[in-house]
Amino acid sequence: MEGICAIPSRQRIEILSRELAPAALSAEAALLRREIVIALYHASGGHYGGCLSVIDILLALYRCELHVSPDEPHDPERDRLILSKGHSALALYAVLHRLGFWRESLNCYADFVSPLEGHPDMTSVPGVDFSTGSLGQGLSVGVGMALGLRAGDQRVWVVLGDGECQEGQVWEAAMLAASCSLDNLHAIVDCNRLQEWGRRARAADSAPEPVPDQAAKWRSFGWHVIECNGHDFMELLTAFDAAKATRGKPSVILANTVKGRGVPLIELQPVRFHCDSVSEAEHAAILAGMDDYEAC
Amino acid sequence: MKLADHAGAVLARLAVDDARIFVLDGDLADSDGAIHFAERHPGRFLMAGIAEQGMISTAAGMAAVGARPCVFSFSAFLCYRGYDQIRVCLSQAEQPVILVGSHAGGLSGRNGKTHAAPNDLALMLSLPGIRVWAPADFADVEFALEQSMRNPMPTYIRLPRKQFALGENLRGNAAAIRWIRPKRPLTIVSTGLATRWAEAVAERLSETGMDVGVLHCLELAPQSGLGRQLEGVQQLISLEDHCCFGGLGALLAQHCPGVPLRCFGWPANFVGKSGADEEVLEYYGLSTQKLAQRIALASTAVDRA
Repeated sequence: MEGICAIPSRQRIEILSRELAPAALSAEAALLRREIVIALYHASGGHYGGCLSVIDILLALYRCELHVSPDEPHDPERDRLILSKGHSALALYAVLHRLGFWRESLNCYADFVSPLEGHPDMTSVPGVDFSTGSLGQGLSVGVGMALGLRAGDQRVWVVLGDGECQEGQVWEAAMLAASCSLDNLHAIVDCNRLQEWGRRARAADSAPEPVPDQAAKWRSFGWHVIECNGHDFMELLTAFDAAKATRGKPSVILANTVKGRGVPLIELQPVRFHCDSVSEAEHAAILAGMDDYEAC
Repeated sequence: MKLADHAGAVLARLAVDDARIFVLDGDLADSDGAIHFAERHPGRFLMAGIAEQGMISTAAGMAAVGARPCVFSFSAFLCYRGYDQIRVCLSQAEQPVILVGSHAGGLSGRNGKTHAAPNDLALMLSLPGIRVWAPADFADVEFALEQSMRNPMPTYIRLPRKQFALGENLRGNAAAIRWIRPKRPLTIVSTGLATRWAEAVAERLSETGMDVGVLHCLELAPQSGLGRQLEGVQQLISLEDHCCFGGLGALLAQHCPGVPLRCFGWPANFVGKSGADEEVLEYYGLSTQKLAQRIALASTAVDRA
């Protein structure tokens, strides 16, 4: 199997203005959500919930924040993004595909002959800055990148899951980043407040948070903490600005999200849809529900 | 002087002309050799904390943005504690991080079993795309580091805890594979510290009229020349400071099919043991005298067959 060929044209990402961004991003996010659920159906299932909770964060980053180009995916001067919660690979692929990093259909996701590995693979997919999938490692990689790039203007963004923050390595990285005063490193935690199965509290509304008191924990590790609504584009963009304005310490954005956001059937069954497959009828119902959701 | 001390010193020298070289250490710099780099290049050294998993992934991130990071710790903590990070961030992500593991193998002195690494090769050789070196002397350390810097790929250098007099090298010039004694129908193939054992055993056997060859295998992976070098050998003995599973013996079985092979190293039930090297080696049948007896016996058995 061969890697995807980057698009050869001199295409560049259109950076949206803060005034125009929220409405444009909302429309684009709806489109990507639809592409994600269709691709997951083609793949006979996958991580619906986490892809749909993180997609707004990724889209806002790529559309309004990151200095990257599909024309030069390996440009050493680019900003870096690591999707540490690698099980949401399809959300990252959907954004990269939308921005023109490659042309192949998302519907080949995780096929044997496809370069779109089930989890992000930097060796086969242009635009993926680091391979992830074994949870907890991405923030350490981000620390290394931020150390290596600290003499330049590049910034390193790492997107984690709140369940992932149960991994001890996340806190090894948090400690090291603060001790190195890495203010070019920004973490974003997709706080959808659920994980695959949790601590036997099956009802979503009564499940304990994967990592309680996240803000206090990050602060105690020496990070600047920003909280926002992870589905409100204006709040996200404001949070990005606040993160970049932080000096002398790394910053983390705790983005409050909804697992399965944008798909009523999945929002109602977030534990089931951490990773699951659907029947043809359910798939049709999911798409119909999205129509209604968008119409509202 | 430990070979790991020499590794730190060699890297410090190479770093003078290569600004990409950076060293991370897991708070063992005064034991694992990294101190020699830290003292000379403090701005390119990071004490990454007692956090080997994070340290390995951090090095991978540095490599991904163009640095040539070298990670120092004891082999046990790199290979065992950090194995998933090596698997994902180095092997799968193909990042050219150099892991320098001191205190490799079964001899851990008073530290004992928690600090021993008697099956590190089995772990590292079974990961795709990892270059593995097992130096036996100072010249080997220089050769391995210089070659590793020229050819960027994930790399593991396993170094013993044992001290040597500076410049106490094996005969011949350092190379991926080096004949320490000329090829003979009965040849010992060894790696790392065990080549010192092999040299002594061969000397002991020669005193009894038994002439054996000794081939030192510095570069274990990628492996291409082992089978060719051993053409014509009638019986092989593998000798390694490693368990008799998944290390050099396994490589020989793969590259020299059909040649009778006996594997000598740590037994399957060995987890490490506190104690003086000589006592531990004697107990487990790896002293010069016991190895000479066992190899002579193995040779006789093949002759009878």
